[in-house]
Amino acid sequence: MSAVMSPPEVAVRGLVEMQDVSIQFKVKGSAVQAVDSVSIHVQPGEFVSLIGPSGCGKSSLLNVAAGFVRPSAGEARLDGVRIEQPGADRGVVFQQYSLFPWLTVRKNVEFGMKIQGVSRTARETRARTLLGLAGLLHFENHYPDQLSGGMKQRVGIVRALSTSPQVLLMDEPFGALDSQTRVVMQEILTNMWQRLRISVLFITHDIDEAIFLSDRIYVMTARPGRVKSEIAVPLPRPRTPEMTATPEFAAMVKTIKGLIREESLAAMGGELKEGGLAGLSVEMGPQGVEGAIE
Amino acid sequence: MRAASLLDVSRDRMAYLPDNPSPLARPTETPDAPAAKTQVAALTRVKSQAKPGGSAGADTTGIAFLRDRMTGWIMAAISIGSVLLAWHLATHYRLDFYVRFGNIPSPAEVFDKVIEVNQSTTFVTNIGISVRRILYGFAIAGVLGIGLGLLIGRYRWFRQISMPALEVFRPIPAIAWVPMSIMLWPSNEVSIVFITFLGAFFPILLNSIHGVEAIDPVLLRAARSLGAREPTLLFEVVLPAALPHIFTGLAVGMGVAWVSLIAAEMISGQFGIGYFTWEAYSLISYPEIALGMITIGILGLLCSSAIRLTSRLAMPWQASASPGERS
Repeated sequence: MSAVMSPPEVAVRGLVEMQDVSIQFKVKGSAVQAVDSVSIHVQPGEFVSLIGPSGCGKSSLLNVAAGFVRPSAGEARLDGVRIEQPGADRGVVFQQYSLFPWLTVRKNVEFGMKIQGVSRTARETRARTLLGLAGLLHFENHYPDQLSGGMKQRVGIVRALSTSPQVLLMDEPFGALDSQTRVVMQEILTNMWQRLRISVLFITHDIDEAIFLSDRIYVMTARPGRVKSEIAVPLPRPRTPEMTATPEFAAMVKTIKGLIREESLAAMGGELKEGGLAGLSVEMGPQGVEGAIE
Repeated sequence: MRAASLLDVSRDRMAYLPDNPSPLARPTETPDAPAAKTQVAALTRVKSQAKPGGSAGADTTGIAFLRDRMTGWIMAAISIGSVLLAWHLATHYRLDFYVRFGNIPSPAEVFDKVIEVNQSTTFVTNIGISVRRILYGFAIAGVLGIGLGLLIGRYRWFRQISMPALEVFRPIPAIAWVPMSIMLWPSNEVSIVFITFLGAFFPILLNSIHGVEAIDPVLLRAARSLGAREPTLLFEVVLPAALPHIFTGLAVGMGVAWVSLIAAEMISGQFGIGYFTWEAYSLISYPEIALGMITIGILGLLCSSAIRLTSRLAMPWQASASPGERS
């Protein structure tokens, strides 16, 4: 019945492709280019993060994949099919708490399945299975307002998974949480992902978070957003919190920090860019990032 | 489920206390430590918010709650008692200090009247007729106000086609419709119900619209990403999300409905509590005026309590919300 309960297998679906996607917004009548010709992809079962300075359009890209925003050029595809509108084949986890306050935790999780026409008993079973996986079974009859921030986001993830989507789209899901809760949530997410083997496109501005969770990271430029570099994370799976203390991890943090700092400065003004940071470069090797000059 | 888990926590604590005199030293190790900690935190939060329901929560908070309640009742008695006392004194000494109490009936006279009017069915019939008019007018206003409010709030084209016309009628007070209403409707009864409807309609409509507009867009996005399409969005997301505002509209609408009803009954009515009060004035039966007023007050109070009760039943999640989030 549920993909969740079956043992981990190699994912065959959930290929997200974005080809030359540009996004324009109208601000006070004039068009603003948020994203300029971005091509990225997520392989089936892969965990990919998009990271970049604020305002680089990373959330807009996710909204295109979710079907909330139409690109002004280019297209997004899921398993070869063009994405036109939102759908239950893509689970979305939002930065803000997005649980329906009038439904209990379990009814929130059942919402999508009810629309899919899953029978009452089947969706109850599946909701409870998923909630159990996230350690939330005791709270199935609570209302969202009775939960802590971290718990709300866990329910949000469980709800996004409830419809057995091909891909999970996560828009800074832990951005509103305190740093301790964040770390715990990252562990929970990486464990859940390990079991479910679902494709994930993850938006964040937290470098450690991106490295800890991802197979691959796209670093974006300041507005208009472009892909600045693509970095493979060579850390083995399953990931453990101890890995964040390795020199390898620290080197990656440093590299990405440099890349983003450069972009943040660029976003603040051209004159700052004239400083010593302009010579920064990255070399990619088989092990991922080899080094960065600062 | 919630109540059960609350009980578990308190039982846990009670069972623990005899062994260890210091509750602070209570061990908290559980298999899933970080998660469990947040869970316990959430439970305590829930516990402190929940109203101790008499039997189960008969601890110190229960006593404090009872004491609060008692204080509330005593204060209420003092509050109403002093109004009655002032009224009694003013009428007893025929106070004439710009405000003239010479012809005003005393509380005792009004109380005698209560017994007198209840010896025939006329008084109760009047009340029944007024309540019926309120129910009809308010029910129609509720259905139309909420229905149109959802459509206007949700669909731009519907707003554009309907709001200009509605805005033309909105500033006209319901009472100003009395003459037109009498000409318009086949019977007096229908025209009074119409006036009542008009009074309730606009507050309900405007609050419903506002409720739809105030919905957090992320809820709609979440629903759409879970596969919801238009009818589901409207009835299972927009409607429940707008309910707090809708109930505000219903509460305000109920108040205005009574205002409009009483005015309509006084001007054009036969029967009804407003008519009773006005007739008492015409017949120079002063205690009945006061009795009519008090009756109207009590009926209005009962109606708004009924709405509050309904809103609590319709929105069980609101009771659990933290105080700041309640609307």
